[in-house]
Amino acid sequence: MPVTPLDKIRNIGITAHIDAGKTTTTERILYYTGMSHRIGEVHDGNTTTDYMEQERERGITITSAAVTCEWHDHRINIIDTPGHIDFNIEVNRSLRVLDGAIFIIEGVAGVQPQSETNWRLADRYNVPRIIFINKLDRTGADFFRAFATLKEKLDIIALPLQLPIGIEDKFLGVVDLVEMKSIIWEGGELGARYHDEPIPADLAEQAKEYRQLLLDTALSVDDAAMEEYFDKGDVEVATLKRCVKAGTISGAFRPVLCGTAFKNKGVQPLLDAVIDYLPSPIDVPGISIAAGEGEEDGDRSDRRRIKADPNAPFAGLAFKIINDKYGTLTFVRVYAGTLKSGDTVMNTTREHRERIGRMFQMHADKRAEIKEVVAGDIAAFVGLKDTGTGDTLASQQDPVVLERMAFPVPVIDISVEPRTKEAVEKMSLGLQKLAAEDPSLRLRTDQETGQTILSGMGELHLEIIIDRLRREYNVDANIGAPQVAYRETISRPHTEIYTHKKQTGGSGQYAEVKIAFEPLPRNEGVVFENKVVGGSVPREYIPAVEKGIKVQAETGVLAGFPTVDFKYTLLDGKYHDVDSSSLAFEIAAKSCFRDGMKKAAPIILEPVMDVEVTTPSDHVGDVVGDLNRRRGIIQNQESAGSTIIVRAHVPLKEMFGYISDLRSMTKGRASFTMQFHHYDPVPRNIADEIMAKSA
Amino acid sequence: MQPPRLHWMRGRQEEGPGVHRTLEWIGRDDAGEAIARVVRVLGPVWTGWRSYRAVALDEDAKVIELRPTTPPDGAGWLACIGGQVVGRATVPLQAVRAAEAALGGD
Repeated sequence: MPVTPLDKIRNIGITAHIDAGKTTTTERILYYTGMSHRIGEVHDGNTTTDYMEQERERGITITSAAVTCEWHDHRINIIDTPGHIDFNIEVNRSLRVLDGAIFIIEGVAGVQPQSETNWRLADRYNVPRIIFINKLDRTGADFFRAFATLKEKLDIIALPLQLPIGIEDKFLGVVDLVEMKSIIWEGGELGARYHDEPIPADLAEQAKEYRQLLLDTALSVDDAAMEEYFDKGDVEVATLKRCVKAGTISGAFRPVLCGTAFKNKGVQPLLDAVIDYLPSPIDVPGISIAAGEGEEDGDRSDRRRIKADPNAPFAGLAFKIINDKYGTLTFVRVYAGTLKSGDTVMNTTREHRERIGRMFQMHADKRAEIKEVVAGDIAAFVGLKDTGTGDTLASQQDPVVLERMAFPVPVIDISVEPRTKEAVEKMSLGLQKLAAEDPSLRLRTDQETGQTILSGMGELHLEIIIDRLRREYNVDANIGAPQVAYRETISRPHTEIYTHKKQTGGSGQYAEVKIAFEPLPRNEGVVFENKVVGGSVPREYIPAVEKGIKVQAETGVLAGFPTVDFKYTLLDGKYHDVDSSSLAFEIAAKSCFRDGMKKAAPIILEPVMDVEVTTPSDHVGDVVGDLNRRRGIIQNQESAGSTIIVRAHVPLKEMFGYISDLRSMTKGRASFTMQFHHYDPVPRNIADEIMAKSA
Repeated sequence: MQPPRLHWMRGRQEEGPGVHRTLEWIGRDDAGEAIARVVRVLGPVWTGWRSYRAVALDEDAKVIELRPTTPPDGAGWLACIGGQVVGRATVPLQAVRAAEAALGGD
């Protein structure tokens, strides 16, 4: 592949709520750029980026797929991402490594829940983005209403660069407010042909009004542009584009375009906007190095940044792992330097060397071998032995560790066992490989039952995993009913002293610990502090105390769930010169935890979900009543055309199988989404039920 | 597009490490006299236990507007004629139009 100058590379993601049109838009992009010779459709199961069997069968995107194309001398690397919250890890890892994003908003519903979640993820990673209001051909589409939801729900300054010409089945094209012309798509040729026309007379006033809004907002970021405007009463197109790009990269505003990807209108100007307004790798400040001790990851303003320079020492971030019949493929975003196959790098996260075997440019599931990667590239490496998602690969001369990725926390557990004894090892290997690919999937063994427990983001997530276990690893598994990922915590402080003493003839065991337990606010995790003075617990035994507490906290004192959000402080202890050991202190710490936490008013926490139900208005009473019966707390209701959107916080325990109940009570006309919101203490009667079950 | 009636040019600048922004645009007539100003609201400025948003108009940093609240809807630009605030806007060009409208007809 010829080397593309850095300023002509765009690494972008396409993200949105479910079914807003991401894959459909990507498919058109590939067609218009000449990378594919036909347009596949999601409902036909033949799109380029939905290449997994399950994606084609179900008509949904499950994993992100990287593709490359060329448009007007620029190379655009695109990652198409899923919209379901169950697969949010894919959006997370993609936004982390991309320089820009297209956010697709539905022209009928406007901003939807997963749009908001993904928007916040993009904020977290400071990703410049442009917005595409899609599906303007649909009945009920309303560009201006969808546009209004951008401010209402995302609280942003949205900058319209286009206005629609016609709407619903009369949608013809767009008014380009930058060049003050119309772009009209001709029928046939799958939207490949379009031409410019003057702005229709009936839209002239509106175009003028929105053009002024565009100028007012865009020029505010550039004083020289303001002066040009004061001089002439207008600005050159190049000046305006420069301002829009500057504001997009800084996040001062978000440009908005529109169209209908399915009806092949609006995609080519979207590609132009990607080139004109989204950054190249050298337009962005560069990725930060990881937070040091005591620093938060978000607090990155003073940290060193790695600039896109092919001559600098190598630095890259592994963001995706795929296991296929050829082995393990590690997707890497190269931030700096140049690397050739056969080179050796440091995995600075895990502190070991890796030798790069072969390198590939990926195009969905197809690969083309390359010999070299440079800053700005996204490529897949083969041959890495022990590199996971979020690991940094760096040169030995400058072994930086790049800013970490945040992984979503799973909320549903299921038990999994193979149907035959012979498949035990195959299942274990398969699950480990799947978990290596997907950091939002967790594996553990239940200490009491010995069962393998899979934790995931939702029922769909785990359903897909079990299906992949069958298809890719040939393992049929029995699964238990989905379980809520409860947690335990404490609600008041307590200090406990425990003495572990054993004498069995030979050398005995002795250790005494005094530990203060106190509750922490939600999501603070588990914190340890050592306040031992005078060596009452020798330094070499402190790690054993920590280990004992950590291990015991995995199975709390009420019902065996992980204990979270507490602090334990080692205050004092006693030891014996002969009989004390690390093992003795670990045992003492475990017992101290078991006894102490029971006296600290332990409680059980349950995940509470943010549920959004879209229903026709004649069923809203049933929907609300049903949510109330599920211990839901209604947050708000709003109308969107003829439908009502009901938002509620509902415990996950009450949401299993909700889709069937919802379809039944609304004759299949309603739909819902849900995502994790927070943990809450369970009511007393449910806590008793949980503890009885685990006894 | 109608060009502005006054001649607008940059006024006070805020300078500092990594900072270079215009705090004020001055609208002059054909004789070069300053007729209107569009100024960025700064702050918060703390005095004792209260915070204010302040605007300084000239080299003496004379305060013409002192408000205890954040500008509504982010309307951080004031259009001023003489010592009077005649309009507020979120972006300077809108404040320029407000100032020219206040001068009489647009």
